[in-house]
Amino acid sequence: MNRIRAALIWGSVLAATTVALYFARVDLDKAHVALVLLLVVLGASAAGGRALGLVVAATSFVLFDLLFLAPYGTLVVANPLDWLVLVAFLVTSVVAAQLLVRAQEQTERARLHEADKLKDALIASVSHDLRTPLTTIKALAHDLSALGDERAQMIEVEADRLNRFVRDLLDLSRLSAGALPLQIELNAVDELIGGALQAVEGTPVAARIAVEFPEDGTLLVGRFDLTYAIRVLVNLIENAEKYSPSESVVTVRARRDGPRLLISVADRGPGVAAAETERVFTPFYRTPDAPSDAGSAGLGLSIARRLADAQGGALGYAAREGGGSVFTLQLPAADLDEALADAAMFTNH
Amino acid sequence: MPEASSTILVVDDEAPIRRVLGHAFAAAGMRVLEAASARDALDVAAAGRPDIIVLDLGLPDASGEEVCRDLRAWTATPILVLSARHSDAEKVALLDAGADDYVTKPFSPAELLARVRALLRRARAADIDTGSTIHRGELEIDFVKRAVKLGGTLVHLTPIEWELLKALATHPGRVMTHQQLFRKVWRGREHGDAQQYLRVHVARLRRKIERDPVRPQHILTEPAVGYRFGE
Repeated sequence: MNRIRAALIWGSVLAATTVALYFARVDLDKAHVALVLLLVVLGASAAGGRALGLVVAATSFVLFDLLFLAPYGTLVVANPLDWLVLVAFLVTSVVAAQLLVRAQEQTERARLHEADKLKDALIASVSHDLRTPLTTIKALAHDLSALGDERAQMIEVEADRLNRFVRDLLDLSRLSAGALPLQIELNAVDELIGGALQAVEGTPVAARIAVEFPEDGTLLVGRFDLTYAIRVLVNLIENAEKYSPSESVVTVRARRDGPRLLISVADRGPGVAAAETERVFTPFYRTPDAPSDAGSAGLGLSIARRLADAQGGALGYAAREGGGSVFTLQLPAADLDEALADAAMFTNH
Repeated sequence: MPEASSTILVVDDEAPIRRVLGHAFAAAGMRVLEAASARDALDVAAAGRPDIIVLDLGLPDASGEEVCRDLRAWTATPILVLSARHSDAEKVALLDAGADDYVTKPFSPAELLARVRALLRRARAADIDTGSTIHRGELEIDFVKRAVKLGGTLVHLTPIEWELLKALATHPGRVMTHQQLFRKVWRGREHGDAQQYLRVHVARLRRKIERDPVRPQHILTEPAVGYRFGE
C-alpha cells in the first residue's frame, strides 16, 4: 500500500516539476533541468525504494530528451555533446538511487541487529528474573498448602501456569529468532513417546492415552532432538486433552512411511473447522468455543509446529474418521546399521 | 530418618531462596548452613563438613562446574544442583564434573527434600555389590551368573545390553549421563561413532526387560541428560 502511495505521489511530483521546467525552458540551462530532475529521482528512491527510483530515473531520462534537448518533441539528439549530458544524467540518477537505497537498507539491518541483541538479553534476564521469584512463591505456597490452606494450593497451581507461560513465550521468541539450540541425534521413538508420557504423568489425561506401535515390533528410530520432540508430543497430548470429552481415549500412534517417522495424536473432540485448519497453528489462536480457563494462551500448537519445522520435520492436521482430530508429527527416520551397532563393541572379545 | 541430624549446605545467591530452602530443611530436622557465593561455599564446606550440598547454578563469582570440581578435589559429599531450564548442557557438564543429581526450577520443596533424602541414603549405603542378585518387581538380575529374568523367564541380552544394565542397576537412583554410561560400557573400545547408538541399545534393552517400554519402571529417561535406574 505504501509503495503504491509513494509511486502516485512521486509520479505527480515528476509531472509537476516537468511542467514547471517546461514553461521556464527558455531561461534554463540543461544543467538546471538535469539537477532538478535528479532531485526528483533521489526523492522517489528514498520514499519508494529501488524499483520506483529506477522507474522515475528512466522516465526522467526520456522526458529530459523529449522536452529539453533540441530538437524538442523527438528522441533525436541534434548536438552530439548532448548525448554526454543525457548519459551522465542517466548514470548519475541510477547510481545515486541505488546508493541511497543501499544505505537505507544497511541502517535498517543494523537497527534490526541491535533490536535482536536487545531481545536476546531481555529474554535471558526475563527468564532468570521471573523464575527466581516463581521458585520462592511456589515453595512458600507449597509450605502453606501442607498446613491445609486450599488457597495456597491455588497459588501453587497458578505459579506453575505462569511458569509454563513464561517458558512458552521464551521458546516462541527463540524460535522466531532462529536461536533455539537443537541437538539432532539418533533417537528411538519408544523414548520419545515414553518421555511425553512421563511428562504428563500425574495429570488426568495420562490414564486416557493408548499407544500403538507397528505390529511387527520394529524399533522405530530417527534423527531428531529428543527434548524438543517430546515437547511437541506433550503439546499435542495437552491439546487433545483440552478439546475432547474427559472420558475419551487419546491415541498416540507411531509408524514409519519411507524416509519419515509419523507420530500421530488422535482425539474424539469436535475436530477443527475446514477453514481453520491452518490457523490453529498461529500463535495466540484459540478456537471460538475454547473454554476460557483452558489454562493456555493458545501457544501450544504454534510452538509445536515451529519445533517440528526446526528439526527438519513437519506438523499437520487431518480430520479423524468417525469424528475428532489427528495431529501428525513427521520426523526424519533413520536406518540402523545393525552390524556396526554391535560390532562397535565386541571386536575385542 | 536418615536426614535428621544431617548437615546440609545451601548455596544460592538469592536470599529468598536460601531462606525458603533453609526453612524446609530445618523443618525436616537438618542442620542448615548457607553460602551466597562460590568462595563462601568452599569455605563453609571446608569448615562445616556438610553431609550434602545443594548448589544453585548461576552464582556471581564462578560457574557451577568450577565449584563442583573444586569441591570434588577434596570431598565426596553428595552435590545436588538447582538449575533453571534452558541449561541442559550445563546440567550434563555438572554431572560429568561430579555432581550427583539435579532439580529444575521452579521445584516444590517436597520434591527437593525427596531428592536430598535419596542422596543421603545412597551416600550411606554402599553401591550394589556385583556379587549379588537384585530384585525389582518382576525383574531379577543375577550379577554373578550374568542372568536376567523377567517374571521368572530368562531374558536374552546382547553383551552391550548386559553391560548397560549392569552399569545402571549397580547405581540405583543415580542419574548417569550419556557420557558416563558410554565410558562404562564401551571402556574405550569404541569404533567409529558408537556413542550415537547408546539410545538405540537402551530402547532395545527396555523392550526386553520392561513390561511396557513406553512406561518404563526400571530404566527411566532423564531427557537431554541420561538415564536413571529406578530405586
